[in-house]
Amino acid sequence: MPKNGMLTRITLALAAAALLGAIAVTTAGAAGKRSASTLKGAGSSLVAPAVATWGEMYSADSIQYSPIGSGGGIQSISNRTVDFGASDAPLTKSQGADCNGCVQIPWALTATIPVYNIPGVADHQLKLTGTVLANIFLGNIKHWNDPAIKALNKGLNLPNKSITVVHRSDGSGDTYVFTNYLSKVNKAWKSKVGSSTTVSWPAGIGGKGNAGVAAAVKANSGAIGYVSDFYAIQNHIAKARVKNAAGQYVLPKISSIEAAAQLVKSEKIPANNKISLTNPPKSQKYRNAWPLSTFTYVIVPQKTSKAAELKAFIKFALGSSAQNAIKKLVFAPMPAAVVKAANKTLKSIHS
Amino acid sequence: MSAADLSALQRPNDRLRRRRVVNRGMELLAWLAAAMAVAILGIVVWSVAKRGASQLNLDLLTKTPVSFAIGNVKQGLANAFVGSLVIVGLATAMALPVGILVAIYVNEFAPRAVRRGVGLALDVLNGVPAIVIGIFVFGLLVVAHGQSAYAGAFALAVLMLPLVARATIEVLALVPSSLREASLGLGVPRWRTTLGIVLPQTVGGIVTGAVLAVARVAGETAPLLFTSSLVGTTVDWNPGHALQTIPVAIFELSESPDPADHARAWAAALVLLLFILCTSLSARWLATRSRRKLGRAAR
Amino acid sequence: MSTLDATGTAARRPFSGRRVRPGDIVLQGVAGLAALGAVVLLGLIAYKVVDGARLSLSTFGLGFLTHVGWDTVHNSMGAASFLFGTAVTSLGALLLATPLALGIALFLTELAPGWIRGPVTALVETLAAIPSVVIGLWGIIVLGPLLRDHVMPALHSGLGFIPLFGTPTTGSSIFTAIVVLTIMILPIVSSISRELFLGVPTELKEAALGLGTTRWEMVRGVVFPYARGGVAAAMILGLGRAVGEAIAVTQVVGAGTGIGWNLFNPGDTLASKIAEDYQGAPTILETSSLFYLAVILLVFSLVVNVLAQVVVRRAARRQGLAAP
Repeated sequence: MPKNGMLTRITLALAAAALLGAIAVTTAGAAGKRSASTLKGAGSSLVAPAVATWGEMYSADSIQYSPIGSGGGIQSISNRTVDFGASDAPLTKSQGADCNGCVQIPWALTATIPVYNIPGVADHQLKLTGTVLANIFLGNIKHWNDPAIKALNKGLNLPNKSITVVHRSDGSGDTYVFTNYLSKVNKAWKSKVGSSTTVSWPAGIGGKGNAGVAAAVKANSGAIGYVSDFYAIQNHIAKARVKNAAGQYVLPKISSIEAAAQLVKSEKIPANNKISLTNPPKSQKYRNAWPLSTFTYVIVPQKTSKAAELKAFIKFALGSSAQNAIKKLVFAPMPAAVVKAANKTLKSIHS
Repeated sequence: MSAADLSALQRPNDRLRRRRVVNRGMELLAWLAAAMAVAILGIVVWSVAKRGASQLNLDLLTKTPVSFAIGNVKQGLANAFVGSLVIVGLATAMALPVGILVAIYVNEFAPRAVRRGVGLALDVLNGVPAIVIGIFVFGLLVVAHGQSAYAGAFALAVLMLPLVARATIEVLALVPSSLREASLGLGVPRWRTTLGIVLPQTVGGIVTGAVLAVARVAGETAPLLFTSSLVGTTVDWNPGHALQTIPVAIFELSESPDPADHARAWAAALVLLLFILCTSLSARWLATRSRRKLGRAAR
Repeated sequence: MSTLDATGTAARRPFSGRRVRPGDIVLQGVAGLAALGAVVLLGLIAYKVVDGARLSLSTFGLGFLTHVGWDTVHNSMGAASFLFGTAVTSLGALLLATPLALGIALFLTELAPGWIRGPVTALVETLAAIPSVVIGLWGIIVLGPLLRDHVMPALHSGLGFIPLFGTPTTGSSIFTAIVVLTIMILPIVSSISRELFLGVPTELKEAALGLGTTRWEMVRGVVFPYARGGVAAAMILGLGRAVGEAIAVTQVVGAGTGIGWNLFNPGDTLASKIAEDYQGAPTILETSSLFYLAVILLVFSLVVNVLAQVVVRRAARRQGLAAP
């Protein structure tokens, strides 16, 4: 029969384990490289490359960002599981209420673009209009050599391949921009599907994040999707020209995005900073404008314990050095009026 | 021999031949099914092994991820390995004592109806999908306190509890009642008997159960997506933060368009698979050893 | 089971005049609390999930179960598309996995020469150890393109008249999810079946063979009836696993909505829809509707569990009667 020693041995072992555990937990607190002032953010994958660049410039390991999609960013900040949320889609009224006293501040300007993978059609060669795009994503146009597409692309050898539509499966600001544009140019889309970060897609497969859509388009011959411009370039996916209201087939560049941003001058910036740049009007001013341009927002609670750190970081992001640093990622510098409004909203944040 | 006799001899032969043909056919089908299944299994295991091995290097364990790396930047998943260690370790620390206590109650104290009820509850808990557990812990802990390794560990502990409890119940039942009766007969109090005499006999079985539970949750992704997914890229041991884990890292890398990300995912998958295999094998070895020891003790 | 009873009653019978020590009360109390905690945990899970679904339950009611489509813009959501997806993928996987699993089990117990048994068993166990996220990774990178480029076009051109094998599009589809789930539940069903087949008393098998049956007739007449209940339970457990699988399915199923015959279309299951949409739901109603899906999933897993237990108990009783 086992001696009493067994009981003592077990108790000692448990005590040792508990002591080790206590040591581990206390040293863990010290060993973490992150300091208490690390800002945690989550949201838009569109702005993720910009935040990564800013994080490196700002100070080491002080910004932690998870690109879970604009919908996720809005949800995370509403639940206060992060310090700031990022979204390309402005808050809806009910989202604003759920966020309980949040403000949205535009902090970058870029574009979404349709991308494709068609054998025999190189980058920049495919031309599309809003109506054709809407019909493709509605599932009405099913093959690449459909007369509607051929009419826009005379001289292009379009194969008889079926179109694989790729959309976002997560809550996405790119989806918001894309569906917002389609709703403006196509009545059928507006009534059937509408515009939001998550919509009921009539056709196609879903990819998670800009990365997931890029991966799906690259992997499937005959695919068409939409991603933010940086992801199209970084992953070498063919970009489509889109016909803007002025009748020009344009591509997203700093110049064409800035042309679209001229909309800000003629419209007043509302108090909630909600500005839409999709489908600029027909006039000469917007001749070269890219119709799927968008601001992207950082969403912060007005009253937060990290007010000082957040204000410092966002002020840095709005500054000229930060905005210039992301130009190479196809983020156009924001118009002065927007920067002014952004800084004004920033002042209202307090602890 | 008459014609009638000859045909009488032939008839059972026809039937026998038919039965033999059917038998052959069925054997062939079984071989075919086994061959197909083995082929499929082999392809999967070989895929993981081959792709993972070709991408395995020390960088995986020593470097951290770099977002939007331009060019050939050396990256790894050091933060995920550390995070997995912390979360699975914490989960074991949470599930093991509770599981043992539940087993002690069920086996030593509970009346029959309660024993059946708790056993049923454990079986039902075992069948709850991991994603439902994830949503549950999200609503319980994350909404109020944010993501953390503690929340992730709690979710994994809920998954481990039925496994640990069941294994402990089974091994406690194997301890012969003569041991308990002898101890009680000598005047040893009930609690001392249970903790000091019965439980030490079952240590092997408990460890087996714990190791099997670890093997089960080491690869779980769904609960961690809700509780520990908004993470940084640095190596972090602090359980109050949300920590990156290997399964979540593989999940995120699998959806990427970058082949370099896929390569790291395969390497991490191979390491994870090897870890799970090693723990399962050691659990089995421990089980046979403890069963042998109990067999000896019973004599 | 008899040992358990013997232990319990023997240790619980108090000696006359035996004092109850405080230590005894403490241990019983703490252990009892733990056991209570386990039961309460289950109740808490059910409560939290139903509580989260309350808004959606009151908005949509039971019509949610039959409404096809998930439109967060027009606020009309329903589980029908995902119930369909779950049913098709899980039952499809069970349909494909069961004959393969039984085939392996029979092979290992009756047909295989001794030197093959070890490696094949090890192979099956290795597959059981592969986590779902790794199977999903393999599904995205290896299986998807393979099915899309070779298997689906072949099935479509050969069997295209069956509406199940319609026009193939991409590697992410219901069909891919079925194959992935088949691979995941194959080890469970086959290892349980193998143990059941091994447990058939050899006297029964030898008796049948001695009477002149062929090997197949022996299996059909002795092994299968003996193991029938256990195999049914194994199938039910495999089904439960397939129904609850979120990660591997969400990686390969393509995030589609709708009900249709074509297996090569993208789709979604209850579990994979929750995994996809939960983080970025734009409205509280959608979040609540995802909880509603979780309630359905929870109910389903409960039913599957209880069913498996009933089947096992009935089979054990029948075996108790049949055993000599």
